[in-house]
Amino acid sequence: MTEPRGQSGWLDEVPVRHILDDVLEARFPLPPGDRPLVEPGGAVLAGDPLLEHLRDRRIEEVTIKVPEADRPLPGSRWAPLPGRRRTDHDVEGELLAPVPGRADRWRLVAGDHRVTLSSPVAGVVIEVRPGAEIRLRPDGRALRGEFAAGSAARGRLELATDPFGDLRPGGIDVGRAGSILVVGSRIDAEALTRARAMGVRGIVVASLPGKELRDFQASERRQRAALHPTPPFGVLALEGAVRRPIPGPVIALLERFAGQEVALLIDPPALVFEGLDPAPVEIDPTWVRIRSGPNAGAEGRVLGPAGLRRFAAGVHLEAAWVEIDGEDPVAVPLGDLERYA
Amino acid sequence: MSIDQPAFAAVDRGTATVAVSLVGRVDGRWRLLGSTAGPAGVPEEALLERLRRRLAAADPGIAASLALDAVGSAAGTPRLACATSAAPELAVIAATARVLAPLAAVAATAGWCVRPLIMEGAEILAVATALADPRVGAVLAGASDPPGADERPLIAELGHLVSAATERRPDLVAVLAGGLAEPGGRTEALFRPGRPGPTVLAPSAAVGSGEPLRALLDGLRGGDHDGRRALAVTTGTLADVLQRRVEVVEIGQAGAIRAAAGWAAGEAAVPRVAIVPEAALLPRSFSDEHLDAVMSWLTVPLDRLRVRDRLRELALASWGDAAGDGALLRMAAVRAALARLVIATPAFDTLPPPDLVVAAGGAWAVAPGPAVALALADVMRRAGVRAQGLDHARLLAPLGTIADPGERREVVADLRDDLLVPLGSVLMPAGFRPGRSAGRLVIRGAGGTAELDLVPGALELVDLPSGERAVVELELRDAVRLGLRTHHVAMEVAGGLGGLLVDLRDVPLSLPPRLERRRELLASWQAAFWPEVGT
Repeated sequence: MTEPRGQSGWLDEVPVRHILDDVLEARFPLPPGDRPLVEPGGAVLAGDPLLEHLRDRRIEEVTIKVPEADRPLPGSRWAPLPGRRRTDHDVEGELLAPVPGRADRWRLVAGDHRVTLSSPVAGVVIEVRPGAEIRLRPDGRALRGEFAAGSAARGRLELATDPFGDLRPGGIDVGRAGSILVVGSRIDAEALTRARAMGVRGIVVASLPGKELRDFQASERRQRAALHPTPPFGVLALEGAVRRPIPGPVIALLERFAGQEVALLIDPPALVFEGLDPAPVEIDPTWVRIRSGPNAGAEGRVLGPAGLRRFAAGVHLEAAWVEIDGEDPVAVPLGDLERYA
Repeated sequence: MSIDQPAFAAVDRGTATVAVSLVGRVDGRWRLLGSTAGPAGVPEEALLERLRRRLAAADPGIAASLALDAVGSAAGTPRLACATSAAPELAVIAATARVLAPLAAVAATAGWCVRPLIMEGAEILAVATALADPRVGAVLAGASDPPGADERPLIAELGHLVSAATERRPDLVAVLAGGLAEPGGRTEALFRPGRPGPTVLAPSAAVGSGEPLRALLDGLRGGDHDGRRALAVTTGTLADVLQRRVEVVEIGQAGAIRAAAGWAAGEAAVPRVAIVPEAALLPRSFSDEHLDAVMSWLTVPLDRLRVRDRLRELALASWGDAAGDGALLRMAAVRAALARLVIATPAFDTLPPPDLVVAAGGAWAVAPGPAVALALADVMRRAGVRAQGLDHARLLAPLGTIADPGERREVVADLRDDLLVPLGSVLMPAGFRPGRSAGRLVIRGAGGTAELDLVPGALELVDLPSGERAVVELELRDAVRLGLRTHHVAMEVAGGLGGLLVDLRDVPLSLPPRLERRRELLASWQAAFWPEVGT
């Protein structure tokens, strides 16, 4: 076995995972018909109106008689001129495209049911693209996840279980309303829908299996199609789809912010610790986590490179020696390891 | 770049992994001194230093002669670098499904992720929403030339919707093809001149088998030092150096490429290329259909939900879980991806059969050579005899970035023995009558003569080590296809890690529909090529 070396150059061969991200751009979908309520460059606070979402989008045709020089552009808002008598066809909305062969006729996206969506996070609006998206740079630092589902939400961070635990549906009650719950290694779709029904705003979990994700997304679609929409609710998977605990350095970070308001973003999947500038997270550079393979989820100290080694099924992989819980070091493929920064 | 140093590093940076090779001049010619790979997040300097350290330990003399004996000395070596990135998205829109199909098929081989949109029967709002999606980087709108009767009522609407999308997003690239591409025509006039994104008039998908349109779309994709384009360039150089017809199939995390080049004396080889993001190891559009395809190649009994989760993990961290079941799962995904690549590139099957098939890309890295040879034979079912090789160091793509063809040829010629791991040869006759002995095969090599009874449906492995050649003679009762229809033929084949694979299975391969039976059959074939499975 290779002994630990005085120089740490070989440590660069172990992939690094950055716990906190300072440069994150949150994206909020703005399909044709939805009306932005913010301007590029403007500052927003958590809870400020971000956009007006049309729940029943439909196409109307309108006549717009203006000189050619004043011809409107697709994506611009249109409303009947004030002070004139309106007909049944006078609707307001977003111009989609001209009608072929009719210079003064336009297709317009309109709807009757509007919902104002609030920003879950404070920040600065970078770009507003009508028909596409709003991009916003949040104030604060973000913990990136692997994927997310549902909608962006804001709530009080609470740790519901230990990093290895499961959260069962019976373990969620109305006392958790308004919170974003950290629920350990995994959760099922039943517990997710119960959490949403109890007023929980979000779930942070290490892993979410594909079946539970699909079931939750189907349930979420039904909820969003209902006449009375529910408050925003999102789920953030930090690690992936296969069960394992939340990494130690990450759980330490979440413990530091327990009880404070955080934002859960869907695109990109992240948890934003807003307006707070946490002290640098001190992590031993040799502290590693085994991301996949037989010891997935275990953490320990990397001692040094083990070179090219033979693993199960005769596969030869670059490896490193890792000491877990004070036991004899084991050779772990470098591709299965990650260290934190 | 021009190489005027005694050593250089070749870097192939993919979306999942980065491969680094160290090449140096030894005894007046270029030799591969070492190669390694790591997850994409690992700095290439760390991998290069790993190689330098090993070279200095293995042969201090060569390391000293190339000034690579001191810690950190490799950092200053010149680089041949290329990179692949996630494919951008292209909305392909046409009036009817009839017109869309050939357009989408060509666009799918140009390195774009295709989002097909049909006007006929579609809701205008849904089409406009798709065109406005910020992930869409360009729009290809096409019509027959001249437009058919089924298209004409919808073409004006199509033009207005695409034009409106470019008004919303002035940077959106619009490509008008076929009947819409009339210079100064009614459709082009809808697009505002001088906007940041160009409006490009393109040939129809029917012109030149779609190759002019494919090349134009590939060029619009951008990306200097694109790894897949560079790989295609080296395919041509390799064909020229080996004086053989070469076909390269590369499977990566974000896409795949199939490149074929022939050889003719005195002429530069021009490779035929198809870059297919849908044939990525796990494509962005991963669906139940893709999952079924992976399941159908799996040789271990894993349940469907678990396979889905492990594939999701593979998509998130392609470099992890590479041993044991993970390696088998990866090879099942590779076969499914290769099958998608073959289906997306039917034009390649009309080209003369290759003399050498090369597997390239990070997806193959975990499997032993013979298992790679079997995977190629499982999916690339074309009657004939061919050698198979593996771009083990992922060196082919970086070499394609050498701008000077003469210099590139010189480097490839020097490295010809190091570039590829020989996987052996595959003998794949087709057209057997089932159920009885079809004849016999005699193999005459350095180790003596061996004889084999040819049983239709069987897969035989003949030991033929790397560097050895043998003459095989086929004597058949009925004529079979082996490039041409024949009863009796003799030819020379090359050895390799997989030896000589005598593949008498159906062309194309037919497998039992029941998953369990299929898995047993695949595992039985695999056992001879990958005996370490289960250890």
